[in-house]
Amino acid sequence: MSAAAARLVVLVPVVAAVLGLFLARRREGLDPRAARAVAVGGSLVTLAAAVALLVGVHTTGQDRAVGTLPALAAGELRIPLLLQATTATALIALVVAVVGWAVQVFAGWYLREDDRYGVFAATVSLFTAGMLVVVTSADLVLTLVGWEVMGWCSYLLIGHWSRKESARRAALKAFLVTRLADVGFVLGVVLLAAGAGSTAYRAVLAHWAPATECADSLAAACAAPDGTLRTVAMVLLVIGVLGKSGMVPFHDWLPDAMEGPTPASALIHAATMVAAGTFVLAQLFTLLEASDGARWVLAVSTAVTMVWAALLAFGQSDLKRLLAYSTLSQVALMLSALAVAPADEGPGAGVLHLYSHAFFKALLFLTIGWLSVTVGGTAAATLKGGLRGHLLLRPAMFVGLLSLAGVPPLVGFVSKEHVLSAAEAGASDAPVRAWLVLLAGLLTVPLTAAYCMRAWLVLDDLGTADVARHEADTATGPVRAAVAVLAVLTVLGGIVVFTPLIDLEGHLGWFVALLSLLLIAGAALGVRRVTASRYGAGEDPARLVGARQPAFDGGFGVDRLYVVLVARPVLATARLVVFLDREVVDAYVRGAAVGALLAGRGGDRAHRAERAATGLAWVVAGAVTVALAGVALR
Amino acid sequence: MILLALVVPAAVATWLLTAGRSLPHRATNLTSAVTSVLTLAFVVASVVLRPEVDRAWVPSLGLRWHLAVDGISAPLLLLTALLGVAVVLHTRERPPVGGTSAAFHACLLLVEVGALATFFARDAVLFFVAFEVVLVPMWVLITRFGDAHHPAARAEAGARFVLYTAFGSTLMLVGILALVTRAGTSDLGVLAQDAGRGLSPTTQLVVASLLVAGLAVKVPVFPLHTWLPAAHTTAPTAGSVLLAAVLLKMGTYGLVRLPLATVPDGFARVAPFLAVLGAVGILWGGLACLVERDLKRLVAYSSVAHMGFVAIGLASGTRTGLQAALFANVAHGVVSALLFVVVGGLKERWGSADLDTARAAVREVAPRLGFALILGLAASLGLPGLAGFWGEFLSVYAAWSPGDDRSLGLFRAVAVVAALGTVLAAAYALRVARLVWAGDRTSPPIEDTRGSEWDVVVVLVLLTVVLGVVPGPLLSLTHDTVSTLVGAGP
Repeated sequence: MSAAAARLVVLVPVVAAVLGLFLARRREGLDPRAARAVAVGGSLVTLAAAVALLVGVHTTGQDRAVGTLPALAAGELRIPLLLQATTATALIALVVAVVGWAVQVFAGWYLREDDRYGVFAATVSLFTAGMLVVVTSADLVLTLVGWEVMGWCSYLLIGHWSRKESARRAALKAFLVTRLADVGFVLGVVLLAAGAGSTAYRAVLAHWAPATECADSLAAACAAPDGTLRTVAMVLLVIGVLGKSGMVPFHDWLPDAMEGPTPASALIHAATMVAAGTFVLAQLFTLLEASDGARWVLAVSTAVTMVWAALLAFGQSDLKRLLAYSTLSQVALMLSALAVAPADEGPGAGVLHLYSHAFFKALLFLTIGWLSVTVGGTAAATLKGGLRGHLLLRPAMFVGLLSLAGVPPLVGFVSKEHVLSAAEAGASDAPVRAWLVLLAGLLTVPLTAAYCMRAWLVLDDLGTADVARHEADTATGPVRAAVAVLAVLTVLGGIVVFTPLIDLEGHLGWFVALLSLLLIAGAALGVRRVTASRYGAGEDPARLVGARQPAFDGGFGVDRLYVVLVARPVLATARLVVFLDREVVDAYVRGAAVGALLAGRGGDRAHRAERAATGLAWVVAGAVTVALAGVALR
Repeated sequence: MILLALVVPAAVATWLLTAGRSLPHRATNLTSAVTSVLTLAFVVASVVLRPEVDRAWVPSLGLRWHLAVDGISAPLLLLTALLGVAVVLHTRERPPVGGTSAAFHACLLLVEVGALATFFARDAVLFFVAFEVVLVPMWVLITRFGDAHHPAARAEAGARFVLYTAFGSTLMLVGILALVTRAGTSDLGVLAQDAGRGLSPTTQLVVASLLVAGLAVKVPVFPLHTWLPAAHTTAPTAGSVLLAAVLLKMGTYGLVRLPLATVPDGFARVAPFLAVLGAVGILWGGLACLVERDLKRLVAYSSVAHMGFVAIGLASGTRTGLQAALFANVAHGVVSALLFVVVGGLKERWGSADLDTARAAVREVAPRLGFALILGLAASLGLPGLAGFWGEFLSVYAAWSPGDDRSLGLFRAVAVVAALGTVLAAAYALRVARLVWAGDRTSPPIEDTRGSEWDVVVVLVLLTVVLGVVPGPLLSLTHDTVSTLVGAGP
């Protein structure tokens, strides 16, 4: 049962995407209801398949080799194209399916007047399919396929409003930055597969496993894999993950990606693309754990991102961009768990944070998106006081922000504390690295609380509240249901740690938890007090960073850095190449032509002598030469 | 069956050139369509039945009229025959300018015959003859029926194409003759079985260098590529499609059939150069595409980059590499055909293919054409799920773990460069998407694709997707033959 469910989980969204695309191609006359039915129906069936998968895994047991297409005959390399049905994949597949469903429902309402809604919905389906392939894959090539499909779909979704120049640029930037990092991912996959001679996770893990694990098997088979090569491979893979997850130095594409419609942002940020790397690395955790270099790269990048992004989030003038930066910070947190978790705890803490982040971030994005429809924008100044008087959005936003800040007993608290405890536990293995992450984490905690508090103060501002505008709210029943479901999961999702649904070896460290609670409370109160005092002086809560606002909104100029350091040199090289192509490589071709032409002219002139006598003289000379040669050679 | 596949189109082409010259466009097109469909049927039958034709041709020289099908040629035969139908269909609603319709169709059919004969041939000299048959009709297509706005450019491009490739062919002919006289047979099967045994290392090296150099012109491998952009820019759409999807494939096919199979030791010594040039070609083509202003030239340069992957796969000396090269070959055939149909269509509508001119966004004014364009671009940048991915990924893999007799460090460097090349591919594909596909302008409006052009596009789009989603059948088709060719692999 679990095998069939695993196949269905991947297949259904693909079918929905193809069908949706087909419907979208049919132009005028067909109202968007058909496209919406396919999209939402497809996501519901996917959800059902994911539930079946979860049930199947827990009743009939795990299945680590679910066949799909026949294995590829690619010469020496074996590509079995396997999926797997395990506890972790089933749980995360369910999370993805839930978020996918919520996003489809929401998009059906949010983009109800968009002339390209059909294409959008189909792309969302395909995007979900890509993520589900990554989640259920047991084969590096399948992972790569899902990985890249997500990248492409993100390009289409971010650039959905392609009539806007800013959207076109953001889409291009997102794809190019992630694609550049993907070179690392591709090469990492190639390296791992080249060692093992197969792309199946099981073969790869067995081949590259640290030598101690096969101490009792045959000596030849037990030859230790090349540790340096393994580290190189894992570093490359980590680079790919950093790109996709928007970690420093690849982080700047993600905030710009806010140009996409809000449902797309919710999908990209909550359960799919940016979090995918966490799951891939969790699958390969034994290799990551054995490659110190790769873990260092991961730890440094995530520690920097965590703090940097939280800092930027605090100063954003657009609340959607605030959420984008908070995603960076939170994803850095989940990846950092993989960088420091000790071997006996495994990747559980990171996966748990992936699980909880998916719920509360999807909730936050959908809430902001909904609100923006009501008030007409996502800038803090526009949204000011927007929550007041709304019976669903206000509590939804409230639990979402609390969860993001990590307040107990919400799901965000549970997972964040697991990550911090993993870092604490990791201090015995690699103290420096673990402390780096732990300190960054403890710095992020108050910053997160601060920007959550700020967002809440803006949204719940009493002074500009306008309760009447909520009466014109056109959100449909299913949209309300989706937001409500996400809100409930945000509140109660933490219960999962007491169930057998997740492999969690770690624990919750009470000391760290207490410390972070104090930090959260302190930061929140601090922000509240500062705002209150400024508010008393007639200042706007939306403007907290004053004159430094443009610097915050510009992400401290990293975009400019990309242009100067990468784009310009590459374009300059390209111009040089074109010049060389024309003036050097092609020159010998033209040279040959000119040479032949000159020779031809010369010959022509020699044969067009004006006086016949010259020609005759040559004939005579020739005859004499031949005769002489004949005589001489005889 | 094989003979039928060759004789029928050849006979019809001859008839069109002589008796049928006064026929109107419609009738000519119908005749050609029927012929090409028949040819496709014959080709499919011969791929399924695998018949063999073996007759004496010039007994005194030991040359034989030997034609057969195997796993390497089968996909290319199918591709050629299918595109043969596609280009005729595509011409249905656009009568050629510059000459009679009959001559145009005859040239298309002759190119198809020559390509099919090349892929069928099992005799080295016969291979050469078939290889050359293609040149003249292609030259006619470029110089007579090409870009109507630039007669001088047409003549120049046509002349350059013929002279350049004829020069390559001469090198190849010398190589073939050297090989045939030394080995004492011109039968490719026997030559491949002997795999260069009985030839001194020097002979092998000389033969391999000559053959590789000669065929590299056709592929084309950097730095022998400069004929390609010129030819593509001026050729009519049907010509561009055949050029990219069929003629270039003859070069790579020749590399597999001749040097790789017959003088493997010599080829092993040339291979590092081929791999490095392939890698340079990937970067070179990719970079040129970033600033190229003419859309058709851009697609031509991207072909140079894609063929770089094929060259790397061939040079790696592993079964995976060869599989990758053969797959990438077919994939590039389909994808570039799609892109040339779309881009050619755009040029026809716009009047030029200059990217600096502000135009209506294709996505806005011609959704179908826009869909085909973005899909073609996605396939071109190697997106998984579309045809381009498998060949490129496996090429990089093969370069990372090359055959035992290859220099590991060099090939690994090549693998890294090739992987970086995929970023350039993404950059130029999205550059085109941003300039042509997306935007807010809706004027001047252009007509969306329909009729026969749309039919052709649909077939190519389907092929692109099917090859990308289900690469298994094609890989299995080539698998057995590849195993016999590269026995040296681990």
